[in-house]
Amino acid sequence: MSIENILDVEFGTELPVFEPDTTLANVGAFARAVGWGGPRFESHEGARKEGFPGALVPGIMGMGFLVSAIHRWAPTGTVEHIDGVFRAPMIADTPAIISAVVTDIDEDEGLVELDMTVKNTKDETRVFGTARLRLPKA
Amino acid sequence: MVDIDELKKQFLNAEFDSKNFVLDAENLLVVAKTSGETRAQFIDAEHADFQATPAFLCSLASGRHLPIDFPALGGIPMDGGKAVECFAPIRAGQPITGKSHLHDIYDKQGRSGRMIFIVVRMEIVDAQETLLAVSDSRLVIREKPTA
Repeated sequence: MSIENILDVEFGTELPVFEPDTTLANVGAFARAVGWGGPRFESHEGARKEGFPGALVPGIMGMGFLVSAIHRWAPTGTVEHIDGVFRAPMIADTPAIISAVVTDIDEDEGLVELDMTVKNTKDETRVFGTARLRLPKA
Repeated sequence: MVDIDELKKQFLNAEFDSKNFVLDAENLLVVAKTSGETRAQFIDAEHADFQATPAFLCSLASGRHLPIDFPALGGIPMDGGKAVECFAPIRAGQPITGKSHLHDIYDKQGRSGRMIFIVVRMEIVDAQETLLAVSDSRLVIREKPTA
């Protein structure tokens, strides 16, 4: 269900799961666009030479995935605040599963609080965080 | 062992870095699209409300993270996370300035020793000094044990 205003939101609602594009090509394009191009984010072999298990997905790209998941669920909302904790590396070319749940609603202000996670297919948390979304009042 | 209270007294809330930016529309588009964004104001440069995504704003905080005279704590700072609070849209081509200061310093004791957390806050302002966004970067440093 797509959310249009604050009255559409129910406490405890789980957002539709979003599986973003974590291919090396996509991750590399993101990294170059923010000025972080280089082996760490663009080459598995280059990242391994730096001691990583493979090319990394930048933590801020994980935050971008979280914001995109919110916008897909609530196209009229504005993400006012997002806080992400980078718990473990995300690796390019491996699936990332974005999930979120509504933890608080302020109908008077039109605000929604969300808890969010990025996990891998082993259900291991890579990034977790919170977001505050402003929605139109009814 | 570093005295956290002393570090706070010496370094908190003093601006140590200032950078000017003009965001490029093509880069904003790439970041939005590769993140899976679907909203027109982030993926259509012709949209009247075209603006940077929150994730893009976090990227501005890369570069020098600590004051030049901040003491070495023994370990390499790791990126422990980021946060961004948006107060107004930031547009492509708009001159903005990012002003950085240390917002908080705290520690946690782990099984392998003490971890020191440093929150670097960048305040993003426009040419009129209007605050547009605040971006926090959490650096985590594993303190080197004393011999």
